Amino acid sequence: MKKFPFWAWFWVVLGVLYLFLPLYGTLDFSLRMVRDQLSFAAYEVVLRDPKFAATFSYSFIMALWTILASTLLIVPTAYWVHLKLPQLRPLVELVTLLVFVVPAIVLVFGLLRIYSRPPLALTNSDLGADILLVAGYVCLSFPYMYRAVDTGLRAIDVRTLTEAAQSLGANWLTILLRVVLPNLRVAVLSGAFLTFAIVIGEYTLSVYLARPAFGPYMQLLGRTRAYEPAALAIMSLTLTWTCVGIIQLLGRGVPGQGQLAGTR
Amino acid sequence: MAFLELDNVSKSFGQVEAVQNFNLQAERGEFVSFLGPSGCGKTTTLRMIAGFELPTAGTILISGNDVTFKPPQKRNTGMVFQAYALFPNMTVADNIGFGLKVAKKPSAEIKKRVAEMLALIKMEKFGDRYPYQLSGGQQQRVALARAIAIQPQVLLLDEPLSALDAKIRVALRQEIRAIQRELGITTVYVTHDQEEALSLSDRVVVMNNGCIEQVGTPFEIYNFPQTEFTAQFVGTLNRIGATVRDVANGELLIDSQRIVTAQKLEGVSNGTAVTLSIRPERISFAADGRKPNGLNVRVENITFLGSIVRVQVRAGDNVFLMDTFNNPFLKLPDIGDVVEITFSKEAVLVLKHA
Ligand SMILES: Nc1ncnc2c1ncn2[C@@H]1O[C@H](COP(=O)(O)OP(=O)(O)O)[C@@H](O)[C@H]1O
Ligand SMILES: [Mg+2]
Repeated sequence: MKKFPFWAWFWVVLGVLYLFLPLYGTLDFSLRMVRDQLSFAAYEVVLRDPKFAATFSYSFIMALWTILASTLLIVPTAYWVHLKLPQLRPLVELVTLLVFVVPAIVLVFGLLRIYSRPPLALTNSDLGADILLVAGYVCLSFPYMYRAVDTGLRAIDVRTLTEAAQSLGANWLTILLRVVLPNLRVAVLSGAFLTFAIVIGEYTLSVYLARPAFGPYMQLLGRTRAYEPAALAIMSLTLTWTCVGIIQLLGRGVPGQGQLAGTR
Repeated sequence: MAFLELDNVSKSFGQVEAVQNFNLQAERGEFVSFLGPSGCGKTTTLRMIAGFELPTAGTILISGNDVTFKPPQKRNTGMVFQAYALFPNMTVADNIGFGLKVAKKPSAEIKKRVAEMLALIKMEKFGDRYPYQLSGGQQQRVALARAIAIQPQVLLLDEPLSALDAKIRVALRQEIRAIQRELGITTVYVTHDQEEALSLSDRVVVMNNGCIEQVGTPFEIYNFPQTEFTAQFVGTLNRIGATVRDVANGELLIDSQRIVTAQKLEGVSNGTAVTLSIRPERISFAADGRKPNGLNVRVENITFLGSIVRVQVRAGDNVFLMDTFNNPFLKLPDIGDVVEITFSKEAVLVLKHA
């Protein structure tokens, strides 16, 4: 008979406790706003707060713009690098990783220094500041979006597909829109959900650019209230995990080579 | 005038001279194969015709028009790739109709043409399927239909059957040829498989190291190889070292045994060492009676290949193979026996030295 793998189970249980105990603590705490009973009171308070809706929808819209901008920027770039400059791939990868090296605080002060004075005084208007914010978010989402698209491009034979389309008379725009992008749907969507998760919780950029975003709101709430921040934390965690779950689901719906089952 | 013409086309990638001084004139409707080992420049030449590579030198003409620097989108060539390259996000019908859609043809016309193409490849019921729902052979037929749907001036195929298994390969190559004949499309077919090239083509271009070795009909290529490379690459070849005995009478010595060739001996003198080639199927065991060329050899090995029996024999330093048709009454020698073999004067070819 096989011996019970005691130590293996010991480490697994320890790991699970380490991850989930604090989470459980937060969850439990968030449900105890009303004395001596479990309730969703804290959640209600949060959801009723008009600032919650305002900041969340602001961040939501910024996330959409970020996704649009980074898709438009990264898909053609990654495609071109794959096709024409494959030797530059490590360099581009390095560039996308710069965000991990340069802290967000440095990035935002750089943006402020350059764009708060003429000729490009963007920080003076709401629109300008929003543009700066989205630009910053695009940088933050760079590594995730690029990785996702790069993986997607690797899964299809871009070069041959491009040549096949070319010999059939298609120009670059047609190839990009009808051949490359549809085959990258899954990749772009996973990149998009990661971007979404990042943007929704982002704090540094939005606070220094003085934007009414969701991240600063969470911070503010955390400093002034007790139960509500716990409820908010649980909610945003759920949101993030939902995003991750959707990515997983999308990835699974891929029969053969990067094919989305839903294209039928 | 030739329909497809390559004039002194060369291509180098840095130091690598992939194609050198390539000349070809193909008639309208002709089926031409490029045959050669991997890395000899077949694909590069094909890609220059398609417009995916620019020649370093030379010109390419299609139907009298210089297309050397035209982008691939404007050349109207149909291309079929080894890896099928169907668009995974489109149905079979959309794949076939892609070129027509890009050309902004009316949708009724596209529909009609797609239906014709599906009938041509005998896949009428598969229009709504996606590429991943098809077998390799079916995918390649769709790729073929997609390429010819745009009525290309030239059809280009780069090892289209290499990824398929043997049975389908043979069936599909007949189908490709039949469709090509029916539509009369000028076709260039790249392959490293000599059987494919010989069985399909009107003419074969044998390539080696970026250069053309020989251009000719399959019959000429197989029976009258002009270079040692061609002789060796196409079919099985016996290379035999010999010395010239008498230039005037075409007499040669193999292992100091005298044989005669029907070929005129040029550029050599008595005593020159030359290389001969004799196809295995041209050699037989000598029965009694008149023998044009008789050679005493020792039997080294006998291999049973089904319809033929391959016998390996040795004369001095020369080892060579002979094929005899199998039949139930065949009397084979034993290994180690010394026997006499024979072949005609015409079977003995003296190879040009490169
Ligand atoms: N894009 C390229 N860059 C550098 N060398 C290449 C390129 N394409 C082909 N070559 C070289 O050119 C030669 C011919 O290649 P290719 O035409 O693909 O041969 P084949 O199709 O006959 O196998 C090879 O030596 C190959 O390494
Ligand atoms: Mg090749």
